[in-house]
Amino acid sequence: MSPRWLVARQSALFVLRERTVALLGAMFIVLVLISAWLGWSATATVDGIYQQATVFLKAAGRTVPPNPVFDMSPLFLMRNMSVYVALIGALSAIVIGNRLVCLDRKAGVLPLIGIRPLSQGDYAIGKIAALGALIAGLSIVAAVAATATFLVLPSIQLSLLQWAQLVGFMVVSAVYMAIFGLIGLATGAWSRSETVGLLLPVTAWLALTFILPQLTANLNPTAAINPISALAAPPDIGFFHWTAQILGPFSLADSFKFASARLLDYLPPDISPPSFIPPFLDLLLALVAATALAWRSLTGLAMTQGDYNV
Amino acid sequence: MSDAIMTPAAVAPSPIRTIAAKDIRDALRDRFVLIVTVFLGIAAVVALLTGAIALRNDVATYDAAKATLLALGKSAGEIKAPEFYPLRLLRGAIEQIEIIGAAISILIGYRAAASERGRQTLALMLTRPMRPWQFVAGKALAGIALLAGGLALVLGMLTAVLHLSSGVGLVPDDLLRIAIVWGVAVAYSACFFLVAFILTLHMRQISHALLAAFAVWLTLVLIAPQVGDTLDPDNQVAGGVFAQLQISKPDQTQIMKGFATFEALRNGIEEASVTKHFERFTFAVLGIKSTYTGMALWPVLVEMTSNLIWIVMTVLGLGALALALPLNPDRLAKA
Amino acid sequence: MSDPIIMTDKLTQSFDGVRAVDSLTLEIAKGEVFGFLGHNGAGKTTTVQMLTTLAKPASGTARVAGHDIRTDPLSVRRSIGYVPENVRLYDTQTATENLLFFARLSGVEAPQARVAEVLDLLDCTYLAHQRVGGFSKGMRQRVGLAQAILHRPSVLFLDEPTSGLDPMGIKMLRDLIIRLNIEFGMTIFMNTHLISEIAKTCTSIAVLSHGKLVFHDRIEAVTARYGDDAALEELYLSLTPVGRLAGAAA
Repeated sequence: MSPRWLVARQSALFVLRERTVALLGAMFIVLVLISAWLGWSATATVDGIYQQATVFLKAAGRTVPPNPVFDMSPLFLMRNMSVYVALIGALSAIVIGNRLVCLDRKAGVLPLIGIRPLSQGDYAIGKIAALGALIAGLSIVAAVAATATFLVLPSIQLSLLQWAQLVGFMVVSAVYMAIFGLIGLATGAWSRSETVGLLLPVTAWLALTFILPQLTANLNPTAAINPISALAAPPDIGFFHWTAQILGPFSLADSFKFASARLLDYLPPDISPPSFIPPFLDLLLALVAATALAWRSLTGLAMTQGDYNV
Repeated sequence: MSDAIMTPAAVAPSPIRTIAAKDIRDALRDRFVLIVTVFLGIAAVVALLTGAIALRNDVATYDAAKATLLALGKSAGEIKAPEFYPLRLLRGAIEQIEIIGAAISILIGYRAAASERGRQTLALMLTRPMRPWQFVAGKALAGIALLAGGLALVLGMLTAVLHLSSGVGLVPDDLLRIAIVWGVAVAYSACFFLVAFILTLHMRQISHALLAAFAVWLTLVLIAPQVGDTLDPDNQVAGGVFAQLQISKPDQTQIMKGFATFEALRNGIEEASVTKHFERFTFAVLGIKSTYTGMALWPVLVEMTSNLIWIVMTVLGLGALALALPLNPDRLAKA
Repeated sequence: MSDPIIMTDKLTQSFDGVRAVDSLTLEIAKGEVFGFLGHNGAGKTTTVQMLTTLAKPASGTARVAGHDIRTDPLSVRRSIGYVPENVRLYDTQTATENLLFFARLSGVEAPQARVAEVLDLLDCTYLAHQRVGGFSKGMRQRVGLAQAILHRPSVLFLDEPTSGLDPMGIKMLRDLIIRLNIEFGMTIFMNTHLISEIAKTCTSIAVLSHGKLVFHDRIEAVTARYGDDAALEELYLSLTPVGRLAGAAA
């Protein structure tokens, strides 16, 4: 067994044993299941309202518009999953990244690892691989829940393309979570205090989720909890054009929302993302940058002691 | 005052006050509270300014359209003038306090408790003539005072920006409404402060306590309102289901009567979250929700009493819990 | 001197402009139990960190078990074991789980059997399935020593191994060190404060003061010249600044 694999396996198993990580992971999975129910329930209600409205409109002698439910792709049922990935998925990833490096620093075993015949690059690869495996695990569980939902609802049939889109959404979700996980890994390795190591990525997440969309598209913070309201077109003013140009590429929450909306078939045709970089490419670039950051922090970690100050 | 009546009991400040004063001094020195307050301030001011810029654009568009119509010899009454109530511009800022303010309160609560763990300072304090609850009360009061100060700064800054950017100027009634919102925001933030404070004092590992507090934050601030929001059928179709079906407001109410159980469930989920009560109260007082725009303050307050009671009862309940839970010096000795 | 197993050549390390280790040149023969003495902050731990490849030297170099610490750190790591001053392990795991992890990282073949063998060697089989979090300092030190010898290193570095141990713990550790040296031929490099331990355990000693080597000799020569522990202590004090200060005051 190679040292990288050993570090990855030991770290992943260790993190899985932690109750807080288990709590956040369980929350994420339960919410994925709830999101399936929510999507179904809300869609059924819209359909019910339409049926009642039809009676009402016919009685009033007015024309009945088409049922909005028929315009919806079956993938629309899973729209809330994009919100849960952006909120709890990203936060869980930060915590996982932080714990992966914290476990060695807090235990004070870095010198004991540092004198084994493995390079610091092996150590970094082991940690990044552990993060990748844990996030892939979360995504696979979410994918299984989504697939099961589609399979048990007999009225819903997905085309091959739609199945591919669902897989694509899961991959994009994993990438988005991995970006935050890698930042958590980097700050956990780099910061002197355990608390700061956790707070820095959380602050970055707060800013990306709730502040940047306000600047790029005048979106109020609570729009982040609604996949539909989060896709409003920005006001057509110079200020928002400029902020979209400058801040758009950094507004990862926006990129994720647009990528998800496209894959889950709920992107309105007249709305485009704020960044000039396409959302998928933007997320990939952020993944590369976050990996570089994590690599740099992990390979630069002082193995002499490494424990936190506080 | 003569020496004869200067007994120690008369002059010694209460331990609660001494501990609170020490904690406030500590917090001001390490600048953490200042940094997080500035962060919240930036978030809130950004929200206000982007809203103001968007509104200014609406006004400019209206003016241009009006001028065109007048030039064509038509009546300007055909287009709707944008309504302008300066306090409504605070919507984004209030939402930032609702979300980021709550997260910051958790951090302040966590730090207030974590600062006593892993050190032997607690033993030094508890061997003085003081009860453990006084120690807890001193620290909690210091934290809440810091929150109150931070929120006063943020709302003060917002008021100043609003006054200058709106071009209308604020009247005393507006200032009174902002002051009321400040009071409720302190109570709301104190709820999250106390959750983190209690968990950090009593859980085995402080980093786990911080995460558990964030899990509570996620549930109350984001998930419960999200579930309620999603279950609102009008949010599920771009532009709103009723707008798409071209159904007027009174008819909407009539149709929604058939979905009473669904609405009750939706409302119940939202009611369970203190955040939703804060949002409903502040949106009503500031006239952000259109039903309350332009309404006199007193009737709004009367209508919002139940939301206020929810917030106050939550903070008092958590405060009582913080004081009632026995301290475990062994646990506090470990970080 | 037989073949040196540790050779340092002008080994230097600085922190914030202060030289923690200053041009240290030293040779330690194979099979020695080497005692490295010095006041707090003399640079002993920094030296061990460089020799164990945990920290890179600012200048100079060293060879441990024939491998250069700068150019071939992985080979150095295959040849050494290290017990830090305060042994820290994964508290939520048992002694065996901890040891298995480190054995595998060191590339030990049949790690299960080796862990059992080492636990038996150190008389701590009874600790095997207990979580490390509940261990006393002495128990922790034993598991710490176990993790260091799992892969049969040729050089064992011990940083203040007796720190915080009771007299019984100190005696047991001393016996173990001697056993590892005699039975398994391990060269021992030991940082210590305790002069009384030096005479009982070491075959050669060196004294470091403010990063500079001020004394290095075999223990027989030292005891022949200075006699008992008290004289050894006098020698040590005369070489360190605190000792010189005390001497001046007297």
